[in-house]
Amino acid sequence: MSLLAVQDLDAGYGDLQVLDGVDMDVGDEEYVAIVGPNGAGKSTVMKSVFGLTDQMGGEIIFDGEDISDLDPNEIITRGLNYVPQSQNVFAGLTVRENLEMGAYILDELPTERLDEIYDRFPILRERKGQKAGTLSGGQRQMLAMGRALMLDPDLLLLDEPSAGLAPDLVDETLDRIDTINDDGTAVLIVEQNAKEALRRCDRGYVLVQGQNRHEDTGQALLTDQQVREDFLGG
Amino acid sequence: MVEQSQDHWLGSRLQTDPLTAGFVVIGVLFFLDLLRRLATGTVRPDTVATFLWSGIVFGMAIGLAGIGLAMTYSILQFANFAHGDLITAGAFAGWSSTFVIVGFGNIAMEILLLVGQPARISSQLGISVTTAPLAIVVGFIVSVLFAAGLAVGLDRVVFRPMRDQSGISLLIASVGVALALRHLIQFIYQPSTPSVVHDPEVPRQAIPVGSGSFTIDAHQVTLVVVALGLMIGVHLLLQYTKLGTAMRAMADNEDLAKITGISTERVVLYTWLIGGGLTGAAGYLLALEQGFLDLTLGWDILLVIFAGVILGGIGSIYGAIVGGLTIGIVSQLSIVWLPSEFTTVAAFVIMIAVLLVRPNGIFGGVTSV
Repeated sequence: MSLLAVQDLDAGYGDLQVLDGVDMDVGDEEYVAIVGPNGAGKSTVMKSVFGLTDQMGGEIIFDGEDISDLDPNEIITRGLNYVPQSQNVFAGLTVRENLEMGAYILDELPTERLDEIYDRFPILRERKGQKAGTLSGGQRQMLAMGRALMLDPDLLLLDEPSAGLAPDLVDETLDRIDTINDDGTAVLIVEQNAKEALRRCDRGYVLVQGQNRHEDTGQALLTDQQVREDFLGG
Repeated sequence: MVEQSQDHWLGSRLQTDPLTAGFVVIGVLFFLDLLRRLATGTVRPDTVATFLWSGIVFGMAIGLAGIGLAMTYSILQFANFAHGDLITAGAFAGWSSTFVIVGFGNIAMEILLLVGQPARISSQLGISVTTAPLAIVVGFIVSVLFAAGLAVGLDRVVFRPMRDQSGISLLIASVGVALALRHLIQFIYQPSTPSVVHDPEVPRQAIPVGSGSFTIDAHQVTLVVVALGLMIGVHLLLQYTKLGTAMRAMADNEDLAKITGISTERVVLYTWLIGGGLTGAAGYLLALEQGFLDLTLGWDILLVIFAGVILGGIGSIYGAIVGGLTIGIVSQLSIVWLPSEFTTVAAFVIMIAVLLVRPNGIFGGVTSV
């Protein structure tokens, strides 16, 4: 059984329907990428899973339970966490405070977990007293991921983690995501950098105009003639 | 709290912005003129000290009252015009408690509760911090609790159902709440301005300055000390507790706060509790210091509080404190040059001048606790 199962999802914002019958699965410890042209509704899938859109139909099952009606503060207790694309750190809070907020729902700060995250991203330990707003783009992404990892989620949703980063940082960031996945956290990623994401992931979905267009292993999608013509540019 | 670097803005602004340079020059000229007047004896040092002290006292009250306003602005993103009448409501509730404690059994209850025809009960009761310290402490606590409870109650009835609406809708609703609250207070307490302390009982101390001296009284000192203590308390709460960090996080980025699992309604509840409580404290202390209660106690100073909060950078509690103190001191010191009727004018001129050169206020952030 899959960890996350999105079934026949219709969702959008107010009167505007963005997703039309989207199906998506993420298995335990799997690395799944959503690619597709701008406006395809990739981010909307993630927001919907986290209860931030207006769901008009379908089901979102996480770990066997329908989470459609749950608030984010309940969803994160089920083992799901989310890094939005932009403004994903509290700029006025220090690095450490940002990480502490990641564990807000716990009664006590999990200091061991905090240490693990500092070990994963040593730059965050170095800058722990610094305001997040003063970090570079790449460091902010690390902090945002660190915050989302504080509860040791089973599945991490990452919305365009490489957006706005310099090319060498893009690789570094995607490498870090590989490690997070290698350590046992399933990853669902929306990535503008489609070829790179498909190269790294286990499976991928191509979303076009709010609908599933293709679904296969990353490698198969990369070599699929139709996908290349539709979307990857030959 | 503050994202922009504070270090160089003045230096670089002076070079690039003649407006800033102009205001700085004017400020320096006023300061030099003050020194000149002191040197030539046109203004006595003890007079300046008196203005400065009353400015600090008033500024601390404004700063304390401004914290709640800044908090609701940063967390809920609207300017709460009901804040002034919350001050009044807190002060009336607290002072009637003080009266009941002091005068119980000797004076009719409706007079003690301030609902009867106002008598000169303050001289009968002889209240001051030294003659009735316990009654004043209890009254102060009642003010804090009443205003905090009232703030939460108003949120439940009016503001919570409107949570997703625009700041303008909330602002207009808050004006309605202010008017409703004021007329309710007037209905209960009748138009009256009861004295709350018995002036001769208030301990005073003359502080020598130069050849003269200026007087500080125990109630002014009480206001300054308690306000300072509460400000330090709010600072510690915001910087060093989980709740405080969550409040700053929510002010910083509400959407992210929700995703992170911060219970935003809980943060809002504490915002009203703490902001409302401080507001009640400010109202009680202000009446203690000025010696009488007034049905428009809060409304009259609401715009001055707004001036302080805006001056400091709306949404920043540190800005509210600094802005309040600046407004208080400037308005009182302006008496050196202007007739005393112009103190409020001076305060607002300073506010406008600062906003012209630094539109986001001294502490910059639009929504930063």
